[in-house]
Amino acid sequence: MARSVSCGVMCIALLGWAGVAGSETGEPPIGALVEEMRSMSARVEALEREREADQDRIRELEDALARWESSSRGGGEADAASGGASRGLVGALGQGNLLNPEITVFGDLGGSLSTDGDDKRFNRFNLREFELDFRAAVAPWVDGALILALGEEIEQEGGEAEIHSHVHIEEGYLNFHTLPYDLALKAGKFRASFGRNNLLHTHDLPQVTRPLAVEAFLGPEGLMTIGGSLSYIVPNPWERYIEVVTEVVNSDGGEESPILGGPNARNPALVSHMKLFEELGDWSSLELGGSFLFGHTSDDTDSRAYLLGLDATYLWRDPSRPDLRSLLLQGELFWGTNDWEPEGGGIDRNRSLGFYGFGQYQFAQNWFAGLRYDYTEFPNLEFHDSDDSEWALSSWISWYLSEFLRLRLEYQHRSFDRFGGGGDQDNLMLQLTFALGAHPAHPYWVNR
Amino acid sequence: MQRILVALFFLLVPIASFATANVVTTTPIHADLVRKIGGEHVKVESLMRGPENAHNVIPKPSFIIKLRKADLFVHTGLDAEPWVPVLLKSARRDRLLPGGEAYVDLSAGIALKEVPERGELTRAQGDIHVYGNPHYALDPLNGIRMARTIAEALARLDPAHAESFDASYQAFARRMHRLVEQWVARLEPHGRVPVATYHRAWTYFLDRFFLEEVAEVEPKPGIAPGPRHLTECVERMKAEGARIVILTTFSNEKNGQLVAQRAGGRALVLAQEVNALPNVEEYEDIFEHNVEALLAAYRELGL
Repeated sequence: MARSVSCGVMCIALLGWAGVAGSETGEPPIGALVEEMRSMSARVEALEREREADQDRIRELEDALARWESSSRGGGEADAASGGASRGLVGALGQGNLLNPEITVFGDLGGSLSTDGDDKRFNRFNLREFELDFRAAVAPWVDGALILALGEEIEQEGGEAEIHSHVHIEEGYLNFHTLPYDLALKAGKFRASFGRNNLLHTHDLPQVTRPLAVEAFLGPEGLMTIGGSLSYIVPNPWERYIEVVTEVVNSDGGEESPILGGPNARNPALVSHMKLFEELGDWSSLELGGSFLFGHTSDDTDSRAYLLGLDATYLWRDPSRPDLRSLLLQGELFWGTNDWEPEGGGIDRNRSLGFYGFGQYQFAQNWFAGLRYDYTEFPNLEFHDSDDSEWALSSWISWYLSEFLRLRLEYQHRSFDRFGGGGDQDNLMLQLTFALGAHPAHPYWVNR
Repeated sequence: MQRILVALFFLLVPIASFATANVVTTTPIHADLVRKIGGEHVKVESLMRGPENAHNVIPKPSFIIKLRKADLFVHTGLDAEPWVPVLLKSARRDRLLPGGEAYVDLSAGIALKEVPERGELTRAQGDIHVYGNPHYALDPLNGIRMARTIAEALARLDPAHAESFDASYQAFARRMHRLVEQWVARLEPHGRVPVATYHRAWTYFLDRFFLEEVAEVEPKPGIAPGPRHLTECVERMKAEGARIVILTTFSNEKNGQLVAQRAGGRALVLAQEVNALPNVEEYEDIFEHNVEALLAAYRELGL
């Protein structure tokens, strides 16, 4: 570079002398020649810069080639396109293992203190649930998932309590996620698309307990049943996210299905959900949903169950500290009618209502606190009277070491009217949740 | 007649050319690079906002609508953005899936640092990245490689403007080389400066700009520090003569300030992303801002 600049200066000096001579002899003026030399110097500099860039590019290509050669020999140097670390493992594990499903094990342990000393589910440590979650692609547009749940339940009849261990398939399905016409299809056993909370597995719940209304209308662990689920993203001129899900499923709803009739009920049942999502600026959003369920409560075609649901979810994050401060508000409402056969014969119709609403505030990077109000009546009259109802107020605080380990403390006051009598219960519950293995997927509004 | 018809056909069929290619990126850095290379031929939007942590972006349903319209989807690759796969599957577009023509992984060709050895692949090492440290965009020379990947992807999508994309890439590469020389020249006289970082996001930046990490405020990546670790961090800084704690905009500033104060130095929030801080609006601004902030801290601390 220095050499070209000094050459330029010499040339300009020579031309300057020539220019003086030229002006005396009628040659072009010195100014034009100097300008031309300047532009030539600039061109030389530009060419040199290009040459340097080309040399850098050659060096980059040589480096890339060296890396490729190293990795193709089974070397440990990383190839960024995601193969590097795994390539070194192929020899040790064999190709078959590399195609194994992603596995996550979720652990959910608990302990509680209660003012109700007679309820043996409280005042003890609990193995709430372990979940084995297997996921893999089956084909380019098809994923498969199997989620097994293992747990212990305390069943109490009279004063005697017994612990029963159980293993069941919580979900097991194929998901055709990229079909023509903006469709996706799920087939197998899955959580029904009714509202928001029903889609959550126990370890993902924002609180220790599931809302009373969800338990009362959809079952203690929510509604999970077998069938097909078709999802459609509705094109619209406003470019908003509008999704409609329609499911045709069995009426059994798993082990407990309060509003549906169980394995002896007439099939199929129909579940439908519509979701609208709206961004309110960069840092908050609102989701509104409506759900519908139709099924039979027995083998009789006239014994029917209808359930309507509405849900709303609002999420806000602090623009200046999006990882550190957030607010989540959510509510769901259930209203259903279901036919049942009283002892005297015939068919009676039971109408019931339930709802919950909660707010959760993140007040530090790993800390969340919230308050929830629940109210429910009971569609299932096997264990309840049509006038029974229950309400609860819960507050909790959650601490995350990371997304793989969480500790939660919850206080809940419950008040119930049952068979004409009433009662109260105050419970203090501790929950420890952890995940082993892969980064688990979860709905956008669930904090981990 | 047949020849005329054939000629007419070729005249009427336009050369494969997009008026403007619709590009969606995961981060604002990627969006800025796409804008620089694509110029008037692209329309680009980043899903993530500047101050966010790329690992923890909330995958909102509205992102799905943006992705469904994307001709190109540009992302960091590796396991840096665990929220991406579920979005791509939910968008129901073949071209967005891995291997599809719209799928652009910017980690291609990048020499990764901190690739874990086989025995280190455990959560006992914290929330580790299994393919290596994914914060490679914080070395400006890696930015040149990322720009090349973008230029190649745009040229595949819109061959009619391939020359324009390549020229923009060449100009960007030359400009970055010049700037890197200037930034290095400003920091080099201070020698290798020992520092502490909050999160292991700065490895590529430190190596490029004569900084040596001697302590981390997080005991392991993604794990919040306890009082004992904070004390150990301060002691290590004192032993190594480190007086600067480098934070991202999403770090816990209180802990960072505490450590820096007790080590007799200062905490420095640097820009890890375009738009992470005011006046950091382009890729080059990240380094200009950070170099200037470091030099100011050196002057203040007499380093």
